[in-house]
Amino acid sequence: MNRTLTPVLTATAALAATLAVAAALLALGGHSPGAVFAALLRGAFGTWDRFFSFTLVRATPLLLTGLAVALAFKARVWNIGAEGQLHAGALAGVAVAILLPVHSPLLVLPATLAAAAAAGALWAAVPAAMKTRMGVGEVITTLLMNFVAVFLAQFLVQGPLQEPRGVFNQTDEIPLAARLPALLPDTRLHLGFLLGIVIAVALWLYLTRTPGGFRLRAVGASPRAAEVSGRFRAGPVVWLAFLTSGAIAGLAGWIQVAGVTHRMYEGLSPGWGYTAIAVALLARLNPLAVVVTAIVFGALSAGGGAMQREAGVPEVWVRGIEALVILAVLTVDRSWQVLAGGGSRD
Amino acid sequence: MTAAARLRGVTRRFGAVTALGEVDFELAPGEIHGLLGENGAGKTTLARILAGLLAPDAGGVEIGGRSVALRSAREARALGVAMVHQHFSLVPRFTGLENIALFNAGAWTGRGTEAPDYRALVRARARELKLEVELDAPVAGLGVGERQRIEVLKALMSETGVLLLDEPTAVLAPREVEGLFAVLRRVAEAGTGIVLVAHKLDEVLAVADRVTVLRRGRRVLTEEAGKVTAAGLAEAMVGEPVGRPGREHPPGRGPRGLEPEPVATLEGVTVRSGGTPLLRDVDLAVRPGEILGIAGVDGNGQRTLAAVLAGIRTPDKGTATLPREVGWIPQDRGEEGLVNDFTIIENVAFALHGKAAYRRGPWFDWAGVEETAGSLMREMDVRAESPETTAGTLSGGNQQRVVAGREFLRSAEMLVAESPTRGLDVKATVAVRARIAGLATTPSAGAREHQTTRRPPAAPKRPPGIVLISADLDEILELSHRIAVMVRGRLIPVPRDRHTRTAIGELMLGAQQGGGPR
Repeated sequence: MNRTLTPVLTATAALAATLAVAAALLALGGHSPGAVFAALLRGAFGTWDRFFSFTLVRATPLLLTGLAVALAFKARVWNIGAEGQLHAGALAGVAVAILLPVHSPLLVLPATLAAAAAAGALWAAVPAAMKTRMGVGEVITTLLMNFVAVFLAQFLVQGPLQEPRGVFNQTDEIPLAARLPALLPDTRLHLGFLLGIVIAVALWLYLTRTPGGFRLRAVGASPRAAEVSGRFRAGPVVWLAFLTSGAIAGLAGWIQVAGVTHRMYEGLSPGWGYTAIAVALLARLNPLAVVVTAIVFGALSAGGGAMQREAGVPEVWVRGIEALVILAVLTVDRSWQVLAGGGSRD
Repeated sequence: MTAAARLRGVTRRFGAVTALGEVDFELAPGEIHGLLGENGAGKTTLARILAGLLAPDAGGVEIGGRSVALRSAREARALGVAMVHQHFSLVPRFTGLENIALFNAGAWTGRGTEAPDYRALVRARARELKLEVELDAPVAGLGVGERQRIEVLKALMSETGVLLLDEPTAVLAPREVEGLFAVLRRVAEAGTGIVLVAHKLDEVLAVADRVTVLRRGRRVLTEEAGKVTAAGLAEAMVGEPVGRPGREHPPGRGPRGLEPEPVATLEGVTVRSGGTPLLRDVDLAVRPGEILGIAGVDGNGQRTLAAVLAGIRTPDKGTATLPREVGWIPQDRGEEGLVNDFTIIENVAFALHGKAAYRRGPWFDWAGVEETAGSLMREMDVRAESPETTAGTLSGGNQQRVVAGREFLRSAEMLVAESPTRGLDVKATVAVRARIAGLATTPSAGAREHQTTRRPPAAPKRPPGIVLISADLDEILELSHRIAVMVRGRLIPVPRDRHTRTAIGELMLGAQQGGGPR
């Protein structure tokens, strides 16, 4: 089967399966699936503004965290910690933006972005060290680091970084110089989305066109073969994947603050770092496909509100659909393997 | 007489490939039936169909005279069909007894709780078959031969009318092969029909009553073993006359006159893993143009030695002086030599990803890699649709050709070949051995033949030194200039006047008294 076409077909099949199951559940709950989906689509794509200011804006953090997860998974680094790295990045960006005594966007923007990436990478460095030095499984460590980051963020916005008037658990607004400029006039779409696209293309080029990307994929496919046939150590590649993944997730957090909320508060992320796993898996870990799947999930999120308003279906349904997508991707993948040929030949 | 097992017009396809096409096969009770063929000829597929592991697409299967539709190995087992796989199916942490109980329905009652009479039953059966087995140690710590005996006993614990063995001799020392064959003869005399899938023609002719040859999924010959010759069988397998493996390349004389500088030396190399020594005080010098054969039963430190020579394992003690680049054909091509999900191009890239010649600025020159992969496929006679074919879909022989071709491609001053022809058919074996012998006599043979590609790797100035690690004594004897034997992590040189099967076979089994000459 064609190497390019198969992933597209399986991803489409997974989405179709998800929608079918969701439709059945909606019907069971006494809703009309047609009306619900129509409301969802209107909410996501109904007008240019819905598309740019809602769908794409909400797709942005998913795009970045999705890329972070896809890159890590490609190297067989099971980074479940994008959520924590995102928080670390957001905190570092906000701290630098508020504390840095310069006011030129040309200096502040790069400095905050660098700080966010570094903080995300640092957050990922802890599980990376535990994995490469002590053989501790990263699924547990990255997950636990999420709680540390989320609670640290709570603490900081209630204490050291809290707005001076001390009313809400949130930071001051970041200075204008630290905010990301709009990408399109009269929409809320900001430069962060474009940055996500650039990172997606860069990752894709890296993975498919460079020797380093080949080594990363090789480690992901078989660390032992990488060592024996490729004559290079998997350790540095694992470090690279971990740190880069953490850095991109860290950017996601700060870009959300710098482009949308303009301040850091408790519950900044509704779990993007976890939804990112669905985004990456549905894209079969292909960075370019992550752009598409992130927009699909952004549309679900943007349409969820409309769904609730117009069709009276609670927005939590959207979370259910996200979970269904993961199950559907795994099921479709497995069925595809079985269909494509039961066993090996020799 | 009722056949123990019979296939009628059995066809099995994998995707577009017909692994077996309308094959008839009959196994008589009490006969040893040798099943021969090149890689991908369908031998394993046939055995797996009889064992219930694969369902045929067309045709019928009969066991003990009854037509059956086997849906699982369990069903086949219930009908008295047992299979000893190429890669053993034992639980490493369990003891021999536990493994045997686990496999035999009703005998498994949980770890450490087997009924005492089951142990007695197993012991009695082992005595009956004259099988020496270790029942109470975890199988992970046992040698390959010992594990295989447990595997055979496991298969024969209950009533077995059909016993299938998939390349059982590939991992054994000559004396162990004789032992296995003696057991098989006893089993056959008791009425069990045995299918012996094998590559080594001499061995099959020595033990089999009848032989069947498959070629590209078709049965081309079934004959009594007394009526065929090894040459005749080889011809039937390939479809054309072939030279006997390796014979075209008699062992060369050792390098004469001035001893050239070695390409690699090991001095007092010791490697431990968690306190257990894997290599003990190994001294070794590999000279350009020579083939150093290292014989030994699997699991005596050969793998570690290869890893040290290839530079991916640092000695705990002693020094290793190695060339900049080493070609290494690893033993386990499925796990180490290849990535099954990668294309042939990507697998070839493993040798090229670090070379400046295959880089353009920051980019990997995939077009160049593809070109090199294409010429490698032509040269090594890799049968695949295109270089884009994924390695996992190739037959074992074709996979090994890709690995060997890639390692010849490295501009190596030294080539380490671990069982380079294991699992290869006659034709491929001849080709690979010729290539190894050729590399050793011609300066930079590998690199020169690749000058058709745009950017050949820089050619070394002298022929490579070759370390041939193999459990196959014939291969060692035919190709090597010098021979050493590995026993329990020690490397024991074999003097030239003792280059005989018997003498080396004795050393392999550790018959010499401790240490031995350096």
